[in-house]
Amino acid sequence: MADATPAAANLFVETAEGPRLLGSRCATCQAPYFPSSAACHNPDCNHSDTQPVHFGPHGKLWSVTVQGYPPPPPVVAADPYRPYAVGLVDLEADGIRVIGRLLVEDPDSVTPGGPVELVLAPLGQDAEGRDVVSWQFKLG
Amino acid sequence: MSDVAVLGLGMHPWGKFPDKNLNSICRVAVEAALADADVKWNEVGAVAAASSRFSGGKGWGLNGNDIVEDMGSTGLPVYNLSAGCAAGANAFNVGHMMVASGAHDVVLVVGGEKMPKGFIQTSGLDDETDPEYLRQRCVGLPGPGFWALLTRQRMEEYGTSHEDLAAVAVKAHTVGTHNENARFRQLFSLEDVLNSNMVSDPLRLYEICPVSDGAAAVVLCSAEYARKKTTKPIWAASSAVATARFDDGLPRGLGCVPSPGRTHHSEARISVGKALDAAGVGPKDLDFVELQDNTVYYELAFPEEWGMCEPGESESLLHAGETLPTGRMPINPSGGFLCFGEATTAQGLFQICEVGWQLRGEAGERQVPDARIGMAQSIGLGGNGTAAVLKR
Repeated sequence: MADATPAAANLFVETAEGPRLLGSRCATCQAPYFPSSAACHNPDCNHSDTQPVHFGPHGKLWSVTVQGYPPPPPVVAADPYRPYAVGLVDLEADGIRVIGRLLVEDPDSVTPGGPVELVLAPLGQDAEGRDVVSWQFKLG
Repeated sequence: MSDVAVLGLGMHPWGKFPDKNLNSICRVAVEAALADADVKWNEVGAVAAASSRFSGGKGWGLNGNDIVEDMGSTGLPVYNLSAGCAAGANAFNVGHMMVASGAHDVVLVVGGEKMPKGFIQTSGLDDETDPEYLRQRCVGLPGPGFWALLTRQRMEEYGTSHEDLAAVAVKAHTVGTHNENARFRQLFSLEDVLNSNMVSDPLRLYEICPVSDGAAAVVLCSAEYARKKTTKPIWAASSAVATARFDDGLPRGLGCVPSPGRTHHSEARISVGKALDAAGVGPKDLDFVELQDNTVYYELAFPEEWGMCEPGESESLLHAGETLPTGRMPINPSGGFLCFGEATTAQGLFQICEVGWQLRGEAGERQVPDARIGMAQSIGLGGNGTAAVLKR
């Protein structure tokens, strides 16, 4: 297996229970943030007190698109390019909506509304041939 | 606060001009606006300019300084405003405040941009503290993909069809064909649009706006100054700016908090609401609107989000011809971004020019009959939103 590198630092983690997103939540008003935020953004919250939390793994697909053309850098994709699906996912238990690529064989077949689960998987490879790993969602 | 008149309007047509430099494009717009206002350069008290990301400004967004160096270094103050695609309208807001406050009698507002070829990358940084960079690096979702996610959700919620989406583009070009400043003036059939390449499913090539070169300029002045120049001034009844709320359900970066009810661009809703309130009109009082149609989706969603019509009603209004200049709810009589393409930081000012020309009754075959109140609206990267209401 090729060496692997995260697409960016401090966004996800592999735990004993499986992959999770690294976020934060305001202890005062419970507003969730991904990536984690140093301050609470809620204008109605009168005491910002954000604490680190894990989000995921179960969510519901709110909307989906298929990226039909290769985007310019810093996007990482398969070479040669294959269109991939991107979803907006409601992690309903966490009260947050997050974006993520969908790990599916046939991107055009995906429709909104169904359950999805967080996974960590390569987006493609970097110039050194390393797998660039990010959070993604699989169906089911 | 004093009344603010929109005295001069000027534009360089939108297009691709590889043989022209940005200064020469901007100069056409500025000289046209000054001539339209019957104002000499040395009467301009201040300049508010859109900062470009892609051209001019010495790489620092100093595009207003480029204008002054080109037109004449009279010592006047220059404000360079950056707000992504809302930069031109943001500059308009600052120009409006400078006249309304009494700080200056005459202010020039200008935006011009030459765009690189092809699809642009939204983030200009390699910086893991920038949410826009992270969205591209960790997921890979350029602008059209973001619009596609919103469009697909509307299709789920309201049953909007591919034909409905394509009909927005057909209508835009039906109007834009009459605009000599628009870049894409050809007519499209429904089949033409539906047969164009899929870019970000469900959005096709003719349903999103490409990038263009262009420039537009506006002369704002006090009521007293306007009365010396014209008997029929156009008034900037309001100008408002806002940023997005954290809980509107649209992840500009990687995540967001969905609020109860419909998901929408809060920066647009907030700025439009402020502009309507300040102008003392309701959403249904508008005779027409120039809104930011980066994609056909916005022409369907925005009028509903702002209360111009009911949620889910836009498709039937479109098919009934009500969004044409002669309809009950005219949208983008200029032809909009779909016909102009996007010279990103200049967009907010081509909208102001169009609203002004419509209110003067100078819009020719795309004229909204007896237009008295019009609104211009833009949004930009970073959650920037703007709106302005003009009256005659």
